[in-house]
Amino acid sequence: MIENHPGHHHGPAIVHLRVQTPRGIWTMTEPPDAAKRPEYPVTTKIERVIEDVRSVFKFIENDSKYTLMRGTERLDPQRTLESYKIEDETLLILSVQGGNA
Amino acid sequence: MSVPIEVSLLAIREELVAARQYATAAGLQLDADPVEAGEPRFSVTFMNSQSESFIAEFHCADYPMYPPTVEFVNRDRSERGTPRLYPQGFHPTPCICMRYNRKAYSERGGPHSDWRLLDWRLPTGNAHGIDSLALMISDLHSKILESKGRLG
Repeated sequence: MIENHPGHHHGPAIVHLRVQTPRGIWTMTEPPDAAKRPEYPVTTKIERVIEDVRSVFKFIENDSKYTLMRGTERLDPQRTLESYKIEDETLLILSVQGGNA
Repeated sequence: MSVPIEVSLLAIREELVAARQYATAAGLQLDADPVEAGEPRFSVTFMNSQSESFIAEFHCADYPMYPPTVEFVNRDRSERGTPRLYPQGFHPTPCICMRYNRKAYSERGGPHSDWRLLDWRLPTGNAHGIDSLALMISDLHSKILESKGRLG
């Protein structure tokens, strides 16, 4: 279900995501002490979701490669959630790749 | 110096909770039956961009003091560590050339004489230190998904 802000007919729809990372899952309730929640207008770019989930789980190193995926599909950071038709409660995966030796 | 197997199994079982959650979400098959039977090893089946499967076995003796030995194996475990079991793009030794793989260290026959086993959690360059089983799986997942074909 995608919210459309009852009573408002302007502004983009809102989706709530679930993002699985190697350090746990990010949802509207998990982890309990998360400073942010995965609630986004569908016009949000993928890169914003990556930034937010990295901050929640403290993946701070910039030289690692962070990729958001839906199943085996890698999501382009410059595209929006809407462009992938991502719906409410969609499960995404943050893969973290360390540096190469 | 070695780690009692009970200690290793406890650490592995604890970390497998997050590893299993990640693997399930990513559609990876994680086989931890040996751990449940008291052996410090498990395996994960990955797919590359051409839907070819690769089975990585994590042998975790002395974990978490030392990293696991991570090796690609065939389905019935009769073959291990041969180039055709490796995804394209991995070190031609062949080897998963990362600090989290014991095989990468020169004292275990690997290419890295500049690394110490005890420092296995350190990052490579300014990247994230791959310091848990779930992160190892995520690192391999990402690299294998980017690869096409086999090393040999």
